[in-house]
Amino acid sequence: MTDDEIVSAVLAGHRQDFEILVQRYSGKIIHFITSMTQDRDEAQSIAQEVFLKIFQNLPYYRKENNFSAFIFKIAKNMTLNWLNREKRTVLFSRLLAWEFNKAPFRQEPPLVSHHEQSERDSDIMRNLRLLPEEQRLALILKVYLEFSYKQIREITGWSIPKIETLISRAKSRLKKNIHLQERSREIVYTARKK
Amino acid sequence: MNCKKVLRLLSIYQDRELDPALERQVESHLRDCQPCRSEWEGLQELVGNLKCLQPPASDPYFPTKVMAGLPANRAAKFRLLPAIAYALVFLTIFLSVFFLQLSRNNTVGAEKPQAATFTAVLFENQDLGLLAVHDNTLALFER
Repeated sequence: MTDDEIVSAVLAGHRQDFEILVQRYSGKIIHFITSMTQDRDEAQSIAQEVFLKIFQNLPYYRKENNFSAFIFKIAKNMTLNWLNREKRTVLFSRLLAWEFNKAPFRQEPPLVSHHEQSERDSDIMRNLRLLPEEQRLALILKVYLEFSYKQIREITGWSIPKIETLISRAKSRLKKNIHLQERSREIVYTARKK
Repeated sequence: MNCKKVLRLLSIYQDRELDPALERQVESHLRDCQPCRSEWEGLQELVGNLKCLQPPASDPYFPTKVMAGLPANRAAKFRLLPAIAYALVFLTIFLSVFFLQLSRNNTVGAEKPQAATFTAVLFENQDLGLLAVHDNTLALFER
């Protein structure tokens, strides 16, 4: 059953068919949101809201468009909204902390903790979080979700040259930062040995 | 193609989004240029590492949770509420017109409203042609 067939079925009243779409896309959507927010618990709740929004917006989906791009556009908008809210909360808590000369109430979102995750994976995740938002979004859509530039254009509304530049800059920045981190770790390791 | 241009195109080449002619030129340059090849290998390693990152473990109950959170009945939400709203607006207008008419009838009593009559007046000396004038307006001139 194709995505478009499922959408038609859901709109005709077979709402239980929506579960097939959820099963089909939940992994990718959660992966995308986790990569953007670096917060696995929040990613689950944002993903739930995303699917609710997709369900409510199904009547506005046009079959000539790509369904995958349609749902990732919604996921992107909701994730960016969450990140903006998060930034405001952090800023507000920092202002309060400055006002009362205390530690901020809310810290940076926690990193994803995989027990089995290697040090290099943690480095990558940490550096990914440090990328500017647009660069991070473009890189995740291309590398993790393997969208083409045209699909990324559909999702984000950016021009192809902008997408090319964002991805290229994200890669060089990530590569440079990871290299610097590895070098500094080597230096610390050698110093400890001495 | 020089190194500067190749380095600029390297990321797009890696993403397989380059024009085939340019792709061949980049490939040929990479075969001959050691510094660019080393840059390319670094980029390949980075993307390889990114792709190896483990996606978060999926919650087997996630689809069930999503389905439980969906609105109960789309039809009720999208069709019944506007219908009730339209019915209420219509009923309000109907009742207010009805009661207004009823109160008028009570105050005026047996007096019946006169039908408006019009008289045709021909202005011969002016270029106004034929006009329909309300009788009440005409009565004003006659006075």
